[in-house]
Amino acid sequence: MATELDYDRSLHDKEHEAGPFEVTESQIQAFSRGIAETNPIYTDPAAAKAQGFRAIVAPPTFCTIMVRQVSLSDINLKFNGAPMGGGMHAGQRVQSRAPIMAGDALTASSHLKDVYAKTGRSGTMVFIVWETTFRNQDGTVVADVQESFVRRG
Amino acid sequence: MYLDMHSHSVSSDDSRATVEQYLKWIGVLRKRGHVVDGIVLTEHRKFDFDKDYSALASQYGVVVLKGSELDTRYGHVLVYGVTEPLTREIDFSNVAMDTRELLKAARQHDAYAVPAHPGRFGIGLTEYIQQGETFDDVRIVERLNGGSRKGENERAWELCDNMGYLGVGGSDAHLTSHIGTCLTKFPTDISTEAELVEALLSEQFQPVWLKDATNGTTGE
Amino acid sequence: MPYFEDVELGDEIGPLQTEATDYGVLEFCQVWDNRGPSRFTDQAMAEESRLPGPIVPGIMSMGIMARLLTDWAGTEALKDLDIVFRQPVPHHKPLTIAATVTDTRQEDGENLVECDILMTGAEGERYVGGKAIVVLPSKP
Repeated sequence: MATELDYDRSLHDKEHEAGPFEVTESQIQAFSRGIAETNPIYTDPAAAKAQGFRAIVAPPTFCTIMVRQVSLSDINLKFNGAPMGGGMHAGQRVQSRAPIMAGDALTASSHLKDVYAKTGRSGTMVFIVWETTFRNQDGTVVADVQESFVRRG
Repeated sequence: MYLDMHSHSVSSDDSRATVEQYLKWIGVLRKRGHVVDGIVLTEHRKFDFDKDYSALASQYGVVVLKGSELDTRYGHVLVYGVTEPLTREIDFSNVAMDTRELLKAARQHDAYAVPAHPGRFGIGLTEYIQQGETFDDVRIVERLNGGSRKGENERAWELCDNMGYLGVGGSDAHLTSHIGTCLTKFPTDISTEAELVEALLSEQFQPVWLKDATNGTTGE
Repeated sequence: MPYFEDVELGDEIGPLQTEATDYGVLEFCQVWDNRGPSRFTDQAMAEESRLPGPIVPGIMSMGIMARLLTDWAGTEALKDLDIVFRQPVPHHKPLTIAATVTDTRQEDGENLVECDILMTGAEGERYVGGKAIVVLPSKP
């Protein structure tokens, strides 16, 4: 009997928009503390300006904390007829396109990229992959983020 | 001949290595004195009929063969010598396919199926045998797997000893620098998938760690 | 910061040794706006998720791993970090982050260095693994 993966496939064509979110100095500093990053370009405005930036710079994976600001649709996942809820983070990709700085206002656009099943040590799993593009106030793409979540049967 | 019998390229959902990057890395291993003659790409739940790596293989002097790693009801299974008739009979994307049917179908279509990482916790063949399942068509398993956690290769070894299975070795690489960490040593040259199946049927091979595949010039 | 011409396949980057504390994870969760008890901060909720204890958020592990590369190549050098979370990362356990150069190439006028990057535990546990691409300058 083949396994059946059932979900709202229309979400592949739906863009979820969010923002703008202001990137603040205190957010960047708190994020930097959270990952024990001590380079002053990320925490000290004077150090950032000495490097040619107008404000402190966000570490390259900073926008990963903003993805949850996007309200994503429930994909209504069913596997072999049974709903599958919950989920844990399975993977992440960040492609940095331009620096993010304090004072930037970011918008995010997300869509469902892929849904597939596989098996592993913990049994049958379904992976759900979302892609998000972040733009700043000038319309410049600053990052592309891909997130993969796993749900278990 | 030393072949890495289990690897995944970017064609698999969870790998981050291209085939060319694997072949370049094998160049690094060879400079370090290791012997790695070829790899088998065993992509997850598919077989890439349309992909031709012969130019890369020739450029880098590495044999590149193709196979599959399939999810089945009783664990993952490596399939060598995949043919179109086999893919018409078995749905490679079905993660709950019948393991015994796959083993039989492979042989009927000139391919060979080998249970992967049989000692893996939660999903290895060992688990199901311990639950009372029997697999009369298993003769060879992946005794040495480069992606195994502590204790898992040991369980595979024990399974082989208890059941009289023969064993192959493969890296289960998903990252470039993990290719070749485990290999299978064959007494004859192999350059095609059909020759690989013949070599498996000959039952003359053994799994080895990379450190044991040397030309005598490594520092190990 | 290294020059592109000085980097070779097989070069090792790091290691960076660290650990994630309960307080550090809590602070990260607050800036992440993931406040309130969760499997990242609360023992009972971790156990409900079939975990032995609270774990480090994946994106926090990712941020820590990025540090290895920005420390090595510079703050703007990291262009792509692509990782898979293989095992839950525990609090208060030694974590080692290291990378191995696997490819160097020039693309669209940039000097790209690609590497495998891993976060491992004291017993060799492969917690997080993936690949990264950094851009390096040429020698003047």
